Amino acid sequence: MSKENSKPKLKMAVYWGAACGGCCVSVLDVHEKLFDVTANADLVFWPIALDTKYADVEAMEDDYIDITLFNGAVRNSENEHMAKLLRQKTRILVAYGSCAHMGGIPGLGNFSSKEAILKQVYLESSSTINPGPVYPETRHEVKEGVLSLPEFYNDVRTLDQTVDVDYYMPGCPPQTERLLEVFMAIVNGSELPPKGSVIGALDKGQCDECERKKSDNKHIREFKRPFEIEDDGETCFLEQGIICMGPATRGGCGCRCIEGNAPCRGCYGPPDDVPDPGAKMMSAVATMIDSDDPDEIEEIVSQIADPAGTFYRFSLPGSILRRKINTDI
Amino acid sequence: MEEVRIGVYVCWCGNNIAKMVDVQDVAMEVETLPNVVIARDYKYMCSDPGQDLIISDIKKHRLNRVVVSACSPRIHELTFRKALEHAGLNPYMFEMANIREHVSWVHNDREEATRKAKSLVAAAINRVCWHESLEKRSVEINPATLIIGGGISGITAALEIADAGKQVYLVEKSAQLGGFASKMCLTSPFMYSTTQMIRAKINKVMNNPNIQVLLNTQIEELSGYLGNFTTTVSEDGRDLELKFGNIIVTIGLKAFDPSVIENYKYGILPDVVTSLEFEGMLKAGKIETRDGRIPRHVAVIHCVGSRNATYHDYCSRLCCKNALKYANMVRAAIPGANIFEMYADMRAMGNGCEELYSVTSKKNVMFLMFDQHNGLPEIRKAGPKDNCDMIIELDEKLSGERIEVPADLVILMVAIEAHEEAKRLAQVTGVSMCGNQFFIERHPKLDPVATTTDGVYVAGSCQAPKDIPDSVAQARAAAARVLCTISKGNVEVEVTTAEVNEDRCCGCQTCISVCPYTAITFDEEKSVSVVNEVLCKGCGTCGSTCPTGAIRAQHFTDLQILSQIDGLLEKSMELKEV
Repeated sequence: MSKENSKPKLKMAVYWGAACGGCCVSVLDVHEKLFDVTANADLVFWPIALDTKYADVEAMEDDYIDITLFNGAVRNSENEHMAKLLRQKTRILVAYGSCAHMGGIPGLGNFSSKEAILKQVYLESSSTINPGPVYPETRHEVKEGVLSLPEFYNDVRTLDQTVDVDYYMPGCPPQTERLLEVFMAIVNGSELPPKGSVIGALDKGQCDECERKKSDNKHIREFKRPFEIEDDGETCFLEQGIICMGPATRGGCGCRCIEGNAPCRGCYGPPDDVPDPGAKMMSAVATMIDSDDPDEIEEIVSQIADPAGTFYRFSLPGSILRRKINTDI
Repeated sequence: MEEVRIGVYVCWCGNNIAKMVDVQDVAMEVETLPNVVIARDYKYMCSDPGQDLIISDIKKHRLNRVVVSACSPRIHELTFRKALEHAGLNPYMFEMANIREHVSWVHNDREEATRKAKSLVAAAINRVCWHESLEKRSVEINPATLIIGGGISGITAALEIADAGKQVYLVEKSAQLGGFASKMCLTSPFMYSTTQMIRAKINKVMNNPNIQVLLNTQIEELSGYLGNFTTTVSEDGRDLELKFGNIIVTIGLKAFDPSVIENYKYGILPDVVTSLEFEGMLKAGKIETRDGRIPRHVAVIHCVGSRNATYHDYCSRLCCKNALKYANMVRAAIPGANIFEMYADMRAMGNGCEELYSVTSKKNVMFLMFDQHNGLPEIRKAGPKDNCDMIIELDEKLSGERIEVPADLVILMVAIEAHEEAKRLAQVTGVSMCGNQFFIERHPKLDPVATTTDGVYVAGSCQAPKDIPDSVAQARAAAARVLCTISKGNVEVEVTTAEVNEDRCCGCQTCISVCPYTAITFDEEKSVSVVNEVLCKGCGTCGSTCPTGAIRAQHFTDLQILSQIDGLLEKSMELKEV
C-alpha cells in the first residue's frame, strides 16, 4: 500500500456547455472542503475559476484528465467541440447537472426552432432595434481579419447524445454534498458503479423522502398553481391539486423544493427504467382527474399552465419526445 | 443474458395472406435481422405439420424465441404457445405478428402490403428479444359458495350447487325467501301458480343440509379473491365468519315508483294501482276498487317508466305479457267488464306470448295505442254525471283521434329497475354496473354469467330485466360455472400480472385508486404498493400510471413495447429509403 501523500493526485476538469453557471457555482459551494478537493486533485481546466485555455486542453495527452464534470447541454458548435475534446482527454466523463444529463432548461429550446429563437432575440423582442436585420454569423470578414462565432444549432442535445458518457450526476444544480460524496469515493478508490449509472442520487423517487402526508386520495377537480392555494405544509402537493414532479423524480436532493413548500420540478431526473419522465407524469396526472365527462376533463386539463414546460422542464432533449417537429424547416 | 436465438415463421394462410403479401420475400428479409437464426414461410402454420416445423426447429436450432407472422393472436396465439411448450420452451417466449387482419385483408397494393408485413415482423422480432419466461399459477378453490339474494335465481342456484353436495350460504336481506316471483299470482303466458312453484322450492332450500339460509342479513364487506373469499355476517347478534370460493350475485330488481309521472296521479287517485299491487289483489282472489266495488271498466297502461327518455330508455321486457295476463284474468273474474290495454308497442315476445296476444285479442279487449313521444295518457277523476270513477284521455295513434276512456281501476305496468342495493353491492363485490345500475356480465354474448371479477357471477334481474325461465337458466348456468371450478379444485389465474419493484416504489400511491380490480394495497410498514397477483388481471393501468416506473405490467413492459416500436420504425424507414 502506498502512503497517502505519495498517492498521485487526480486530475480534474469542470466545463460548462449551454449552462447558466449554477453547476460551476455548486462546485464552488464546497466552501472550505475545497481544501480536501485540492489536496486530492489538481484542477487542470475550469473556465469559471481558472485561466486555462482551450489550446492547453488540446495539448494534453488522451486520457490525461481523470475526471471531467461536464455541465450544460450541447446547443452550439463550441459546446460540441469541447464535449468531443474533453471526451478524448478524459478517463471518466460525468454528465454533471440536469442540462448535460437530460438537456435541462436550455433544452426547452427544442419546443422552438433556431429560426424562431434568433428572430425573437435579434428582431422581435421589444427592447431590440435591428433595422438590418443583422443576425449572428459564424464567419465575418473585417479588415483586421476574420471573426468567427460558434454555430447555433437547431437542436439542443444532451451530453450523451454527443459523446459517450460514463456517469450522470443529476440536479439543477447537483447537491454539493452529493458531489463531495462521489468525489471522495473516487479518491478513496471505492469500486465504481457500472458505466452509465446515475450517481449521487437515490434509486427511489422523491416521495420516499418527502415528509408530506400521502394517501391514495389523489382526485383532482381543479389544477392550481402554488400561489392559488393556502398550503397546509403537510399534505401531498398532488392531493392539493398542485402538480409536483416528485413521484417521477429521483430522490437525493433532500427534497429541497418541497422542504421550501414548493412542488418538485423534476431536476433530478427520472428513476431507472423511465425513459420519458414527462410522459410518465402526464399519464399519472391524467388518472388523478376526478371526472368521467369528456368536456369537464378537457376543462380541468386546460387549467394546467404550460403543460409542456411543466412536465418536460428539465428533460425534453433526453426524452422520447425529444423535440417539437419543425414544420417550417 | 443468454444468447437470443429467434425462429421466424411467415404463414401463407393458404391464399389469405400469400395473395397480397410476398411471404417468401418477408421471410428472406427478416432472416438477416440480428438474433434471427432461421426464417421460413409455410402454407398453414397452424396446421399440425406447421406446428411440428416450429417444434423440430426449436430442438434442431436451439431456438429460444419464436415469432409467428400469421393471423390475429386472438385466433392462434394459444395454439403456438402450446407448440412452444411441447418443445420445452416457456410459452411466453413467443410473439405473433398479425399480417392477415392487419395487412392482407385490408390492403390492395401487394408491394406496400409486403413492406408493412416486413415492418410488423421486424417489430415482433425486436419485442420477443425482451420476452421473459412467465410461470403459470393457480389458486385452490374453497368448495363453499355465497349466494347474495334469495329470489328465484338465488334459490335455483343454491339448490343446484347444494344438490351436487357442496356447501351454500344463501343470504337474503328480507325476512323471507322468494323474492319478486313469490309476489306474483300466476306466471305468464302459461298461467302456472307461482306460489305453488316457489313454495316447493323454498321448502327444498330450507330442508337442504348443504344450504345455510341467512335471512335479514346483508353483506357489508368482502375480502379475498377467487377461491378464497371471506365475509362476516351477523346472525342472532353474533358475528359469523363465512369462507367461500365463489359468489353468485342474484339481488334481483326494484319496481319503478310511478308517482313521479304526474299524468297517472298514482298516490292521488285511489284506484290507480301498480302491477305489483294488482298481483296482490289477484293473490287475495278479489279484483275490486279501494272501496270494495267490482270495477266495470279496467284499464291497463303499459310502459310506465320504460322506453321513455325521462325515466328509463330500456324496455322492461316482462310488462307486455303480464298485461295480457291481467286482461285474461279480469275477463275471467268479471266477464262483463270493459277492458282497455293502452300500449306503446306490443312487445310480448317469447315462447307462447304471441299466442297469448291472439287469444286475448279475441276476448273483447280494447287495444289502444299511444306514442310516448306525443305525450302519455292522462288520468283524471270523473265528473258526477259520468258513469265511471275515472276518465283516461289519450291520443290514440292508430285512429289518430284523441279519445276518452272510462275506468274504475287502472293498472300501471311499472318498469323494472336495478335493485336499490345494486350500487353498494357492486362496490363490495367488485362487479361493474351499466348506466342503469344493472350489473355487467363479462361478455354480452359469450360469457353472460361471469363478471370481470373472477369468482363472482351474476344471475337474474340484477343483470337486466328477466322473467322466471331466463332467471332460472342463468342461475343454473352460474351454478354450473361455480361447480366447474369446485370440481377442478383449483383454477389458473392470469400470468401477465403487474409487478411492483419494491426497491423502486416511492410510495406515492397513485396506482391504488386506478386499479379496477382493487388488487393494489399499500403496505404502510414498507411504504410500498403491493399487487395481489390473484386479483390482478394484467390490464396494465397501474403500469402506465406509475410515475416512478416501479410497476411493470409483465409481458407488456415499457422495454418490450418501446423495442417493438423501434423495430417497426427502423424497418419502415429502411424500406422507405430503398
